[in-house]
Amino acid sequence: MVGLDNSGKTTIVLHINGEDTSVISPTLGFNIKTISYQRYTLNIWDIGGQKTIRSYWRNYFEQTDGLVWVVDSSDVRRLDDCKHELDNLLKEERLSGASLLVLANKQDIPGALKPADIAKVLNLDAIDKTRHWRIVGCCAYTGEGLLEGFDWLVQDIASRIYVLD
Amino acid sequence: MEEGKIDALCQEQEVFQQKSKHEAMLERLSNLHQSRLQQSASRKSGLEDSSPAFESTQSFLARFAEMKHSIEASLKQCREASDPDSKSSLKSHLERISLAIEDLQKLVAENSYFLPSYEVRSSLKAISDLKESLEVVNSEFLPRKKFSFRNKVQKKEITQDKDVELDPTQTPELLSFASAVIPIHDSPGFRNKENVVLEKDFRAAGGGDFTLSDLNACEIRLRGCLRALYVHRLKNCRVYVGPVFGSVLIEGVEDCLFMLASHQIRIHHANNTNFYLRVRSRPIIEDSSGVRFAPYNLIYDGVEKDLKDSGLEEETGSWANVDDFKWLRASQSPNWSVLPEEERVCTVKLN
Repeated sequence: MVGLDNSGKTTIVLHINGEDTSVISPTLGFNIKTISYQRYTLNIWDIGGQKTIRSYWRNYFEQTDGLVWVVDSSDVRRLDDCKHELDNLLKEERLSGASLLVLANKQDIPGALKPADIAKVLNLDAIDKTRHWRIVGCCAYTGEGLLEGFDWLVQDIASRIYVLD
Repeated sequence: MEEGKIDALCQEQEVFQQKSKHEAMLERLSNLHQSRLQQSASRKSGLEDSSPAFESTQSFLARFAEMKHSIEASLKQCREASDPDSKSSLKSHLERISLAIEDLQKLVAENSYFLPSYEVRSSLKAISDLKESLEVVNSEFLPRKKFSFRNKVQKKEITQDKDVELDPTQTPELLSFASAVIPIHDSPGFRNKENVVLEKDFRAAGGGDFTLSDLNACEIRLRGCLRALYVHRLKNCRVYVGPVFGSVLIEGVEDCLFMLASHQIRIHHANNTNFYLRVRSRPIIEDSSGVRFAPYNLIYDGVEKDLKDSGLEEETGSWANVDDFKWLRASQSPNWSVLPEEERVCTVKLN
């Protein structure tokens, strides 16, 4: 679970886990949640997005099956920054097999960019053909879109793992 | 039960006939076991380079301490080496240290899956400290060339700032990449203004997100509720804002006063600025200095209702629990402090 600071990563994880989301401090470091999801057990690593700790993201790349990239769809000014960080992440060899779910968060805020626009700005169509990816609009606060996104991610990872078996 | 008994009897009867078969099978099994052992041994040795051969916190800590110690010793050696002739050797020495720090980081990453989170955090902290002292030695003994990339970037920023000052009517900051790809309409906000009072009232309809960007010597008054607030490059401004149901993101402010109520507040690159906050979670600062904090103290008609509607009616005292992402130590950060009561402004009333 990665993305710029203020994108809503922790809120999404807590919401999925059915926890209270009214008081969440910016993440200093990371949180780990183990969640039973359908027939699977998800280990979700929610990693802080402040600039100071972005350089530590790469310490968490080992054995990653899925990557959730969270975007603040109303923060137009930092979309370049967002694209830059995502591009760097996708270059990472240890993540080359991971399915990518892009969550275009904060869709409830009037004026937020739509998922299709976010996809264009992030140039997702240009991603390496071997990468499985999908973008879903969501609202971490109400939970809208979260299940759709995680359903896809979990199914995609599961189908990949079963093929390998 | 009956069946089991019969089975047992039958087996007993067959024992003699099967004896040779049985022995053959045992032999096969033992061979299989042997080869499996060999395989796993060879697998282990093959992996040894890339993954840790131990999974105990203690042995990790021992190895970490040992590597850290040797890096510190090398750094000390560099610092004490005063011979100017050895510059080239110093350079390669510093590069080796940098590689050693990277190895140390790799060690933590490889072991992070079984380490307690405290150990991961403190190890990462130790690594960032090492990097910092390496950076210090680097800049001390091998000063950067004049026209490095960093200087270029700074220069560019300065000229941009100048443009803004010279031509305040110019179009808002161009979104170099994003706007080239899709048409982006500016979100509501105040941009590129100087020496004015800027007011907006959201009490009737409620606001979505709002942006304050490139303002100099302005007073900003926003009444009513907002969903999100983005603040970018403000100088010498006073900013009074009603409750924000969501988060406030601040980047690049100097000599300002902010009065904000919100669920989350992030402050980056702030200097010499006072923040009067009501906030549900811990406010954070990063790359900031001389920032001081006090409780929210804003009044306008209907502020109580707005605070309540935004879930911010309660003063939890969180305004004083600031996390400095550039100061991950137990001691108080030198970058922020609580604003002494006698220096705080009185209640601010917007009419």
